[in-house]
Amino acid sequence: MYKRLSAVLLLLLVLLLTGCNSDERILEKLGMVQTASYDLAENDRLKTVYSVPVIDPESSERRQLLKAVTDSLKEARVLLSKQIDLRLVSGQLRTVLFGLNLAKEGLGDHIDTLLRDPSIALGVQVAIVDGEAGELLSKSFKSNKDTGTFVNHLLEKESSSNIIPPTTLYAFTRDYHDDGIDPIVPIVKDQGDRAGISGIAFFQDGRFVMKIPSKDGIIFALLRGDIKQGELSINLGERNGRKVRVMFSSMLNKRKVSVQHLGDNRFKFIIADSIQGSVLEYTGHEDLSQSKKRHELERDVAEYIRGKAQEMVKKLQQNNVDSIGIGQYVRNSLTYKAWKSLDWSKVYPGVEVECRIKVTIKDYGKYM
Amino acid sequence: MDANPQSTPMLRHILEEFDQCADLIFRSFPEIRTDIVYFPSIVDQKLFTDEILAPFAQVQLDEVEQLFQQSQFTRVTESKTVIEGILAGSAAIFHEKDIYLLNIYGPKTRDVQQSETETIISGPHDAFVESAITNISLIRQRIKSSHLKIKEYSVGEITKTSVYVLYIKDIANMKYVEELEKRIKRIEIDAINDGGMLTQFLEDSPNSVFPQFLTTERPDVAVSKLAAGRIITLIDNSPTALAAPSAFFEFFSSPDDYYERWALGTALRLLRYLALLITISFTAFYVSVTTYHYEMIPEALLRTLAESRNRVPFPPVYEALLMETMIELLREAGARLPTKIGQTIGIVGGIVIGQAAVQAGLTSNVLIIAVASSAIASFVIPSYMMSASIRLVRFGIIILAGIWGNIGIAMGVTLIVTHISSLTSLGSSYLTPVAPMVLGDWKDVFIRAPFTFLTRRPSQSQSPNPLRQIKRK
Amino acid sequence: MMEKLSPFHVAVLVYMSQIGIVVFALPRQLADYFGTNGWLVLLPGLLVTSFNIYLITLVHRLGDGKSVFEIMERSIPKAVLYPVYLGLCSVWLIFGCMIGKKYVLLFQMIAFPTTNPMLFKMAVDVLLFLLIIKGIFTISKAATFFFWMTFWMYFLLFWFLPSFSWVRLTPFILQGGHDQVKGALELYTAYLGYELSILLFPYMDKSKKSLAAIYAGNAFLSLLYICLSLVCFGFFSFGQLKKLLFPLLDLLGYIQFPFIERLENMLYGFFLFLILMTVAMYWWGALEAMRRVIPKLKIPVLAFLLTVISYCISFIPKTLDQVNNWILYLGYAATGIAFGLPVLLIALLLLQGRRVSRV
Repeated sequence: MYKRLSAVLLLLLVLLLTGCNSDERILEKLGMVQTASYDLAENDRLKTVYSVPVIDPESSERRQLLKAVTDSLKEARVLLSKQIDLRLVSGQLRTVLFGLNLAKEGLGDHIDTLLRDPSIALGVQVAIVDGEAGELLSKSFKSNKDTGTFVNHLLEKESSSNIIPPTTLYAFTRDYHDDGIDPIVPIVKDQGDRAGISGIAFFQDGRFVMKIPSKDGIIFALLRGDIKQGELSINLGERNGRKVRVMFSSMLNKRKVSVQHLGDNRFKFIIADSIQGSVLEYTGHEDLSQSKKRHELERDVAEYIRGKAQEMVKKLQQNNVDSIGIGQYVRNSLTYKAWKSLDWSKVYPGVEVECRIKVTIKDYGKYM
Repeated sequence: MDANPQSTPMLRHILEEFDQCADLIFRSFPEIRTDIVYFPSIVDQKLFTDEILAPFAQVQLDEVEQLFQQSQFTRVTESKTVIEGILAGSAAIFHEKDIYLLNIYGPKTRDVQQSETETIISGPHDAFVESAITNISLIRQRIKSSHLKIKEYSVGEITKTSVYVLYIKDIANMKYVEELEKRIKRIEIDAINDGGMLTQFLEDSPNSVFPQFLTTERPDVAVSKLAAGRIITLIDNSPTALAAPSAFFEFFSSPDDYYERWALGTALRLLRYLALLITISFTAFYVSVTTYHYEMIPEALLRTLAESRNRVPFPPVYEALLMETMIELLREAGARLPTKIGQTIGIVGGIVIGQAAVQAGLTSNVLIIAVASSAIASFVIPSYMMSASIRLVRFGIIILAGIWGNIGIAMGVTLIVTHISSLTSLGSSYLTPVAPMVLGDWKDVFIRAPFTFLTRRPSQSQSPNPLRQIKRK
Repeated sequence: MMEKLSPFHVAVLVYMSQIGIVVFALPRQLADYFGTNGWLVLLPGLLVTSFNIYLITLVHRLGDGKSVFEIMERSIPKAVLYPVYLGLCSVWLIFGCMIGKKYVLLFQMIAFPTTNPMLFKMAVDVLLFLLIIKGIFTISKAATFFFWMTFWMYFLLFWFLPSFSWVRLTPFILQGGHDQVKGALELYTAYLGYELSILLFPYMDKSKKSLAAIYAGNAFLSLLYICLSLVCFGFFSFGQLKKLLFPLLDLLGYIQFPFIERLENMLYGFFLFLILMTVAMYWWGALEAMRRVIPKLKIPVLAFLLTVISYCISFIPKTLDQVNNWILYLGYAATGIAFGLPVLLIALLLLQGRRVSRV
């Protein structure tokens, strides 16, 4: 008897199931926002540009752009969905670009709004545009018609090679909500014929504070943690009338940090980097096959990196952004109470930071 | 055919019974006062000559009694037994008032040939034929043991088909033999034509989609099942042997697993489970992703997938059902037609229709890949019955995926698992060795471990002698 | 021949009835209520549940593995017991029902924002009905199958190890939390489910191994919880973790494979298996209790009635918040049962033992 009952129930189930279709998201009927850019418009309004791929293989356009100026981030979506014959969805969002002016106002709220949407995951890339983000996104560069995708690939490639730290929504919110570290975001710039990464932006409390050029990115990466891959071009100045340049490649860094309490809420922070790498370019005339000469070069390189690093730390301290995460280590060396009573942003600029760099040349290429 | 005036009432009764059976032959040997009745159609002509014609020609009237004392002549009295004997290929011999049966059964049968449905690359190639006696001989040749027991039953009111239950004493659990016996005796039907038909009368849940008895056409499989403590049922006039009790996972092993090196055998088994996964879920997953879960598509695939869907006028679920039905049509047509035409149909259907459908914009080429690979994967499953069941179940999953996406698939899987969990085969769990959990059996179910490790018979057969081999030290 | 649950199945059943909807929010709750390194709270959690299981095993030992209903009926008049049975039945039934409803609401949020959740609920209930009418042995077989089908998911945690950092865990132990008592009670629902093992007595082997299996199932669950929470505390920063309502979904959404990404959409379906088993076990418990009250009704009919009743009740709470509240209060009740029932039974058994020895 219950067999018949369950058969009826199953039938009922199937009948019920066929009834609902309002949540269908059929692939070709979707306008999938792949890149979104947000800028500050007049009167504190928000200028939004969405880049949606055009799927038709016969169309010459690879993407279409939707633009709106609204009061809030999600309002833009409501407005923009009226400009397109497809259903606008954000589940395929890959990159979010923020204009520099908006970043100066603060990104915290916007990022919160993005994350509230269940269709947006933590893996979305975040970048700042030096200038207007919408303008960069709207521009079609000759080599790459689809700027959004290009920027996305660029960021992915660069962050995998450690030249800039990986910055997804995950990393940004992680550091944003951590009391011992401040978030960073790469900066993308319109470089005439193409978009490129021009540096790293430093944030405090979700607000843009300062930036460094991209060539210093690797120094910052060395300060921030271990790296598995990286390249550094070093200018050792003139030696014996010859410009000495060293290209240090395949860098492998092990970072060790320690905190010393100097009393009276003063701390000393020691970063000890042990860097391995191979020399790909060397314009000096020393014979690198001699271990003595090689050690000399190692010391020179270490000294160069140390100088750069100290300089960068100083700059960060002057701007009161703790993107290296010194706060995390200081916090972990204190008791909970002591940390909570400490006003880290006041203490941080006064922290003595010492960088100790040790460089080892693994090999120097296949040519004498 | 007129009855001999001197004949006994019994003979007359028999001849009346077989009235209008044109193939019946009635022969008299007046000099020895003997009559014989038999069906030449089911009798071995040579045996008939050697056992009856030759001795009857030589024998004198007074020696006849002595001749019938020989053991091949069975003396019977009941008319019912006589009729049954004649139908079973015996010659009925009427001498004076005595009746004797002499078994000279020898019907025309097909020669032992290769199996069409269960081909393997290396290993024995012979397969069962329609004659149960031949089939038993194929098994007897392989098991030279007095412990191989064979019980015979007759099923079918009209057909009186012989059903043989084979087991190895002291290895098979008698509990199962008795259960099977009980079920065979319970069958009430007029005609039974095939082992596949018989299964449906013997299974625990005949309404289930999944076969609970493993069917095979291969004597080597039957022997390995017997050695594992399972019971084989053979039915006359059918090349299909049934093995019971069987478990779901048993349907995914093939005899070659044991004939190859174990590493290869293991790889093949894993491949088959992968095939199961692909068959059940690949098309459904395509439907679910393109209908509901576009987020799951990686960026690199997004454009390919979306472009292929671009011109298709139907929602993915209809598209998928259309193509799946197409494939099933092709398969069925191929099976009905002679081999050579069948192959042509496959090529014409597969390439021409597939290509044209994509070009016409009726389906996306990604779907063609999905449908084709899940069809191919379904043929990897060695048991034809299981593969057909799974192909049927797949349609349900695709529909559910079209309705509720991934959660629909999960619900479909839940339904299947709930159903399979409640199935039994001869009263033992269909899901052994997963539930009840017997980790020791896994090495011969999910992988094929080297023979030194396969020391025990499967737990499902609950063998009184569970050890296959003494562990080598 | 009477089928028996082997120790492995007991362990799987206990584990499967424990792991449920709480796992989605667990790391956040730990961070929110208990502060830094909140995952450490799971260790005392394991101890408390183990103690409760000890009580349950004590019932088994004293009662010689008899059904708990028989023990109760031996010395308490039926008139008193019926309300108790009704109570047990309703708490377990509605608790299970709310877990199902919460799962449905969560899924709806992710993928089906406008579909009526009660449709999903109906589908889930039909599946549950089909499962529970087949009895505990089929439930246990299905549980084992589902267990292996979801087992591989735990290996996904390795994906987060490269981004894991001990520094984020901080050396502070349980600092910055609030309402610890409320949090502890709320968190305890994460462990609930093991108490149903008390109903399994007549169905399992009377060996020590079966009892050990209850501990094992619970320990496995705790280990899983600890691993998950530890990964969450080291992968997310503490402040971030407190903001994520369902950290597990965010974790799964972060995984990217070359052929597939946003795994939460798929794995959420796999969690159906886990949640289904939890609810099925609770409903099975409710069914067992109810069968004592109305022994004459056939099981499928009774199960059907219970399913319909619970389906009607699940109409009442509409939002996720309301469901959470229901689960919270029913969780208190279920926790009470988890401790109260074994204690009551032990008292009864001691009383009965004394009476027997006097005779």
